[in-house]
Amino acid sequence: MTKKGLILLLTILMMMGTVLPVFAQGAAEATAPAKEIELRWASIWVGADSKAGPVAAIVEEFNAANAGKIKVVIEPQPDYNAYEQKVRTSLAAGIAPADIFTIKLNPTTAEFYNSNLLMDFSKVFTGSWKSSFEAGSVNQSTIGGKLKSLPFETAILPMWYNMDILAKVGVTKVPQTVDEFWSLMDKLKAAGITATSQMTGDTNAWTSMIWFSHFAVSLGGPDVWSKPFTDPAFVQAAEYIKRMIVNYSTADAIGLGAGGSGGHFLAGRTAVFSNGPWYAGRADLAATPFFKNITIAGLPGFGSTSNYMISRIQANICAAASKDAAREAAIVKFLQFLTSPEKVKSIAQPSGAMFAVKTDAKPANHLQVQFTQLANSVAVSAPDFEAAMGAEATKEFTQQLSALALGKITAQEFTKLVALKINQD
Amino acid sequence: MKSEQNFGTRLLTIVKWFILLFFLLVALLPLVWLFINSFRSNLELQISSFGWPQKWLFSNYIKAMEMASLPRLFLNSVITSASAVALNIIVAAMAGFILSREFFKGRDTIYTVLTAGVLVPIIAFMVPYFSLISRSGIYNTLFALILVYASVNIPVSIFLVTSFMRSIPKELEEAAIIDGCSFTQRFTKIIFPLTQSGLVTAGTFCFIYSWNDFIMAMLLTSSIESRTIQLGIKFFSSQFITDYTTMFAAIILTIIPSVGAYMFLHNKIISGLTAGAVKG
Amino acid sequence: MPRLLFLLPVLVLFIGFFIYPFLFTLGTSLTRWRGIGSMQFNGLKNYTRLLADPTFRLAMKNNLIWALAQGFIQVPLAALVAMILLRQPKGWQTLRTVYFLPNVISTVAIAMMWTALYNVQYGFINEVLVKFFKREPINFLGNPDFALGAVIFQAVIYIGYFMIVILAAGMNIPRELYEAAEIDGASVFQQERYITIPMLRGTLVTTVTLAMAYGIRHFEATYLMTQGGPMHSTTTMGIDLYDKMDALRYSDASTEGVLLIIFGSVMIVVIRKIFGKSDPMSEMAQ
Repeated sequence: MTKKGLILLLTILMMMGTVLPVFAQGAAEATAPAKEIELRWASIWVGADSKAGPVAAIVEEFNAANAGKIKVVIEPQPDYNAYEQKVRTSLAAGIAPADIFTIKLNPTTAEFYNSNLLMDFSKVFTGSWKSSFEAGSVNQSTIGGKLKSLPFETAILPMWYNMDILAKVGVTKVPQTVDEFWSLMDKLKAAGITATSQMTGDTNAWTSMIWFSHFAVSLGGPDVWSKPFTDPAFVQAAEYIKRMIVNYSTADAIGLGAGGSGGHFLAGRTAVFSNGPWYAGRADLAATPFFKNITIAGLPGFGSTSNYMISRIQANICAAASKDAAREAAIVKFLQFLTSPEKVKSIAQPSGAMFAVKTDAKPANHLQVQFTQLANSVAVSAPDFEAAMGAEATKEFTQQLSALALGKITAQEFTKLVALKINQD
Repeated sequence: MKSEQNFGTRLLTIVKWFILLFFLLVALLPLVWLFINSFRSNLELQISSFGWPQKWLFSNYIKAMEMASLPRLFLNSVITSASAVALNIIVAAMAGFILSREFFKGRDTIYTVLTAGVLVPIIAFMVPYFSLISRSGIYNTLFALILVYASVNIPVSIFLVTSFMRSIPKELEEAAIIDGCSFTQRFTKIIFPLTQSGLVTAGTFCFIYSWNDFIMAMLLTSSIESRTIQLGIKFFSSQFITDYTTMFAAIILTIIPSVGAYMFLHNKIISGLTAGAVKG
Repeated sequence: MPRLLFLLPVLVLFIGFFIYPFLFTLGTSLTRWRGIGSMQFNGLKNYTRLLADPTFRLAMKNNLIWALAQGFIQVPLAALVAMILLRQPKGWQTLRTVYFLPNVISTVAIAMMWTALYNVQYGFINEVLVKFFKREPINFLGNPDFALGAVIFQAVIYIGYFMIVILAAGMNIPRELYEAAEIDGASVFQQERYITIPMLRGTLVTTVTLAMAYGIRHFEATYLMTQGGPMHSTTTMGIDLYDKMDALRYSDASTEGVLLIIFGSVMIVVIRKIFGKSDPMSEMAQ
């Protein structure tokens, strides 16, 4: 080895050395405070999210009240898809993604319940803490006697009617019967107005998936998802959704994403749209001329079930299991604080979001008020296709929905193809 | 004859400029689109993706800049990308030198295996990467990102660097050996300087990857101190709502420096080296 | 000894970030593993199942189309532009920078723009089609007959990436060669044909190989524009692999990853055989 070679190697080492302080800095941070328990929360309620402000305030209040003992640190998680990927990658690597994090509970993510990395709340989730939650959501989140995630944010997925457009064809109220519904669709079509914002793009064909879920639940009852997917209720629902896409939607519905579907409604180009409560808080929606004249309602009963609603738990809170009892106690203490009706109300009121914790929140926005009223008035509710069937089935649903709308397959074939993915072991 | 030739030359010039302008248009389109939309409201964008702003909203830029952590994230990106490029180029040049200018048993196998790395879909390696980084205790550090970016780009860099190194005439090196150049000197005095344009190209690839990467940065970091600008841009995108036009403003703000770096590298370094380029 | 020292850093990083993850992927591909809990040995069952899966076969075909389009449309276009720029026309340095610009813009924004351009109702391309060609509008991304072509088109016209490689190599060609050819009365085409192309042969093979490798592992732009739809028509192995991870089918995702690498390696070997003569490796060995 020559002198020059040594010099070169030294230069490289020095280069790495300049980089190392960055590494050292990060390491030092993690070990600095001694006694205090630091809880890291991988939070999706940050940035542009309407719950970001109230959530940050709650954390601040908790940290102030527990100064020197517990400190909750929010790790902001932008871009929801990437966040989900991080959670599953981390769990697959055998490491909890953070002390506190959220998941969307469905048959796919239910797999997480098999992980020892997640804390089981069933022992501590009792008494008044438990009774402040809606029992249905708690049941849905309890799998095999274990409660490895607490139901938190919920949503109903109703229809949005632009009454200004309906008025153009002489309709002044939301259709109450199937006949009224089809007659509205035909009147709009005859008047050259696109009736609905359907879509078959993205990973879940979101707005059309909501429509399909409405049809299916009405036709097959609230426990329709436990039936085989080739059930006549699903075939009929597939016929209906095809009719909606082909006859009563925008020309770009096939392949369209949720942004495009919502864009049509925001532009006043479509009369009926479907989405959850979060859409009600959008600034761009409030800026539309028809904002005041939107009615939130369900669909008439296409089958034997009427006065139903599609609902889902949108976020469940998980925590990392720890051998250190003090740490787990600190997590429980924070979660009790966060999910107390008073704190949940402080998030629900300004954001219009809905929660599994019962509160008397009164959102300011008239659409959010309609959401709350509708949720309280329906007789039964059932989850949507995605929440009931998981990620894989939803992707196949989306792909084959295009085929169905293009007339490449029949409704029967559609249900068979999707059933293949549902039944895959 | 003469006029025919003139016609031919003129036609050639027209075709040449048609091609150049076509690709100019193609390349400028997204930039112009992004720039115009960064002044529009989200409602306008949702209603129609093409169109002038009803009112030029500079507020999008103010909102983008108000995101307090932007300077820090930007600095992190600069440190990460620059270090990753430096690390990547130095190690790839050293290996490329051996793989292109030396002959020994197993060399071709090493070269083939290294370059086969360009086939790897990095998303398939997320679990082992996360595992490796977390267990070696460098999770949530810039160092982790530097290491990953420099390593992920090794196959491409080896590919490009060896390809450039092979084109250097053997005679140059042979002459150097006769002049008494040592092994290391052959690398530092001859091969390294002569392949600078190749190194800059490989460095550009590595830089673009490091600067644009979102997936690894999201996976391997968790706090502002060690996150990069791409996470800052995505900060305008949450579960239910994406503030696209502000995000566009942030993108415009962040591409300015990367374009600057690119122009510096290519116009100063490459052009400086190539006094001998063709005139036509 | 110095040889080993020069190779060592690359080998260490490569083992850490390629060999180890590959072995992990290979290992999990032989198991049943949903990312959580223990793995059960499953032999080659994942492979036989995946190879029989029509979506995977379609993905393989699509990746091959991607690889061919990138290697034999994108690279030649890049070479053409690079050859024009090598003659340093007015403003060539600016053009070089501008052509490269799309690569520094986030892919998300570019995908959004193209999705909008292709829209059947409001897209600019359909407006042109209807107004100037009197054609029926086409739902490019919603029609399985057009979707793959549409996504590939918007990718191959961005030539900047490969152009800079060819440009950098072209600048190393000695100017004297062209001067001599000029004196001999060689036309521009002859100069390109007999000087530039042969001199750039090694670089072109490298670039084509690289472009095809990118085609084989293609993922991002399609995922952002169509998520593999409609009717799986634009799906690629990368998308299928991602979807499998999304469904917590990690062992299936690993299987697909391994098959992708094998498939890609076979393709590269074939390319090397075809361009065998110009493979610089074999030249060197002689």
